[in-house]
Amino acid sequence: MKSMSGPRSHRAIVWWRRLAVMTRKEMVQLSRDVPIGLLLAYSFTLAVYLTGNGIRSQLHNASLLVQDADHSFSSRELIHKFKAPFFRLEGEIADPQEGLRWLDRGKAMAVLEIPPRFHEQLVTGEPTAVQLLVDTTNAPQGLSAASYAARIVGQFGQETALARLRGMEESSQNLPVIVSDHRVWYNPDQNDTWFESISHLLRQITIFAILLPAAAMVREKERGTVEQLLVSPLTPFQIMLPKVLAMTLVILCATAVALFGVMRPAFGVPIKGSIPLFFSLTALFVFTTAGIGLAAATLTRNQAQVGMMTLLVVAPMLLLSGLVAPIEALPTWTRNLMILSPLRYFIEIAHGILLKGSDLTILWDSVLAMALLGGVLFGFGMWKFRRQFE
Amino acid sequence: MNLQRIAAVASKEWRETIRDRIFVLLAFLLPILWMIVFGYGLVQDVENIPFAVLDRDHSALSRDYLYRFLESRYFIFQGYMPSENEADALLQGGKIRVVIIIPEKLQERLLRGQSVSVQTLIDGTFPLRTDIVKGYVIAINNAFSEERLADYFSRRNGIAVEQAEAQVRPIKLEVRYLYNEEVRSTWSMVPALVMFTLMVSSPLLTALGIVREKETGSIYNIYSSTVTRFEFLAGKLLPYVAISSVNALVLWIMATFWFGVPFKGSLWFFLAASVVFVLSSTGIGLVVSLLVRTQIAALVITMVASMLPTILYSGLIVPVSSLSSGSQVQAHLFPGMYYTNIVRGTFLKGVGPEVLWMDVLALAIYAVILRTVGYWLFTKRPRS
Repeated sequence: MKSMSGPRSHRAIVWWRRLAVMTRKEMVQLSRDVPIGLLLAYSFTLAVYLTGNGIRSQLHNASLLVQDADHSFSSRELIHKFKAPFFRLEGEIADPQEGLRWLDRGKAMAVLEIPPRFHEQLVTGEPTAVQLLVDTTNAPQGLSAASYAARIVGQFGQETALARLRGMEESSQNLPVIVSDHRVWYNPDQNDTWFESISHLLRQITIFAILLPAAAMVREKERGTVEQLLVSPLTPFQIMLPKVLAMTLVILCATAVALFGVMRPAFGVPIKGSIPLFFSLTALFVFTTAGIGLAAATLTRNQAQVGMMTLLVVAPMLLLSGLVAPIEALPTWTRNLMILSPLRYFIEIAHGILLKGSDLTILWDSVLAMALLGGVLFGFGMWKFRRQFE
Repeated sequence: MNLQRIAAVASKEWRETIRDRIFVLLAFLLPILWMIVFGYGLVQDVENIPFAVLDRDHSALSRDYLYRFLESRYFIFQGYMPSENEADALLQGGKIRVVIIIPEKLQERLLRGQSVSVQTLIDGTFPLRTDIVKGYVIAINNAFSEERLADYFSRRNGIAVEQAEAQVRPIKLEVRYLYNEEVRSTWSMVPALVMFTLMVSSPLLTALGIVREKETGSIYNIYSSTVTRFEFLAGKLLPYVAISSVNALVLWIMATFWFGVPFKGSLWFFLAASVVFVLSSTGIGLVVSLLVRTQIAALVITMVASMLPTILYSGLIVPVSSLSSGSQVQAHLFPGMYYTNIVRGTFLKGVGPEVLWMDVLALAIYAVILRTVGYWLFTKRPRS
C-alpha cells in the first residue's frame, strides 16, 4: 500500500509544481508589459479616487434660471428654496425667450417663471401657479428636477397656506398631517462616494478579469507558442488554469490596494462584513468572469477578434448589471438576460459584505449562482480548448 | 505626399481587414447589437420597487394610506411583516428595498387633528435609488396629508371640501417638458447611445489594426518601403474612419426609424459633425497603438481609456454639469462629451451649427492634436 501512495503523492507534487511554474511564467510575462502595469496602477488607485469623488448620480447642481415677474417677498422666498446641492441658481432673466435660448444652448437645465401678483394672490388665498420649463434631453435628470421642484413648491405653498389658515391659535404639531420619517440604512449619510468608488472598483475588476486571461490565451494561440505548451507534459487544464490564477492574484492585490489604500482612507468606505470572505468571493468572481473571456478566446482566432468579442460582452455587463441603473428599474427581459452576468451577483455580494455586513447565510444564493455560472463557462472553455488541439 | 501610395496602403489595410470575416462581422454588427440591447434595455425609470409593510394600526385610514403605495406603479407590495425584527434580514437580502412602518393610533390621531410620523426604512446602498424612493414616499405622504388637511379644515370651518383643498394647496406647479415632451427615457438614451457606440468601438478597431502589424512584424515591410510616415498613417486610418462613418449613418437610421426618436436638426450637419467625431475617436486608437507593442496592451488600454470615461464623463447618464469640478475637467478632456451635445442637440433640440459650433471645433482640435501626436510618435526607425 505504501509503495502505491508514494508515486501518487509524487505525481501530485509534480502536478502542483507544474501549475506553480506556469503561474509564475504568466506573472513574469504580465510584469514585463509596462503599459499594462501602469494602467493597472492607475485604474485601481487614481481612477477609483477620481470617480468616487467626482460622480454624483442624484440630481446635483442643476442650473436654474429664474424669471421673476413679481419681485416680492414671497417670490424671493420661493426662489431661495431652490438651493444647493440640487439646484444652482444661474441668474435672473427678464424675457421668457431668453430662457429658451439658454436651454437651447444647454447652459441651463430649467427655467422657473413666477407670475406677477404672486405675493398678492398668496396673501389673499387666491390660487396661483408658477411654471417650470425643464430640459428633458436627459429624461431621468429632467424628471428628477421636476420632482424636486414639485416638492419645494408644494411645501412652500402648504406652509404659507397653513400660516394663513391657522392664525395664531395652534402650533404645527396639531394638524392632521403625515410627517415623513426616513431612516436610510447601510449608508445613513447618503454618501455618494461610497457607492461610486465601489462601483468603479467593480467595473475595473470586471474589465481586467475578462481581458487579461483571454488576451493571454489568444496571444499564445496566435504566436503558436501554445503548440509548444501542448507538446510539453502539461494538460490543457494546466495551461489554462495558471493564466487565470496569475490574473486572479494580480487583481486581488490591486483590489486590496484600492480598498485599503484609497477607498478606506479617502472616503471612509466601511467594511462591515468579513474581509477574508470579501476577498475569497472576489477571487470567485474574477474566476467566473475570466471564464467568459476564455470562452470568447476559444471561439476566436486572433487578438483583434477577441477584442471585439469581449467588447460585445463587457459593455452590457457594465451598463445593465445594476451599477448604472438599479436592477429593478430595468425591463424584465434585461433582468433575465443579466442572470448570465456574474457582475450582477457580485454587486449584491460587494454591497452586502462591505456596506450591510452580510454573511453567507444571506448571500448564499448569489454565491451559488456565480459559482455555477463560472463552472459552466470554464468547463465550456476547457472543452473547446481540448477539441481544438486533439 | 503621394495620393497613390495612400490609396495603396488603404487598400492593403482594407483587404486585410475584410478578409478577417469574424472581425468585420463584429465591427459592423457590434453597433447594431448594442443599440438594440441598450436602446431597449437601459431604461432608467425607477419603478416596481419591492416594499414590505408593518401595520401597527390596522384601521380604515391606515389601509387607505397603504393603498396609495399599492396602486402606485413605483412600488410593488411584497407582504406584511409581523415585527420590526424581520426588517434587517429582508433589506440585507435585497429582496425588499423599503419598509413602511405605520405606528399605532394613526387613525385616532389624524382624526383628532394631530400629526403622525410614519417611518420608512430605505436601503441606502444605491444613492440614486434611495433618493428617488424618498421622493416618491414624500410625494405620497404630501398628497395624503393634503387630503387630511382639507377634510379637517372643511369640518372645522364649515366649508366645502373642494374649497378647503384649494386653500391648503395655494400654488400649483405647471411643468413644461421641453425637447422630449413625453419624457421618454428611450428618446434621451438612444441618441446618446450613438455617441457611446462610436466612442467605444472605433478606437478599438483602429488600435487593433495598427498594433497587429507591429506584433506580427509585418510593419518591417513598411519601414523598408518608400511610403512616408504621413502616407502610412493616412492610408492605415482610412478604412477605420470609413467603417466608423458608415456605422454612424447606420446608427442614425436605427435611432430615427427603428426607435422613432425625432430628428429635428439637419442631417448634413449631423453627418459632417459625426465624421469629425470619428476622426478624433479613431485618433485615440492611433495614439494608443503607437505607444504599446502588444495587442493585449492595446486592447486593455483602449477599453479602459475609452469605455469607462465614456460611461462616466460623457453625459450619457450623469450630466456634465453635476460632476465635481475635477471631474468636469476630465470630462472636457474626452471627446465624448462634445459629441453628446451634438447628438442630443441635433436629434431632440433641433439646433444646428449656430449653437454647436464650439463642440465641433473642440472635436476638430482634438482630432488634429491626436494626429500630430501620432505623427510624432510613429517612426520608421524602430526604437529598441
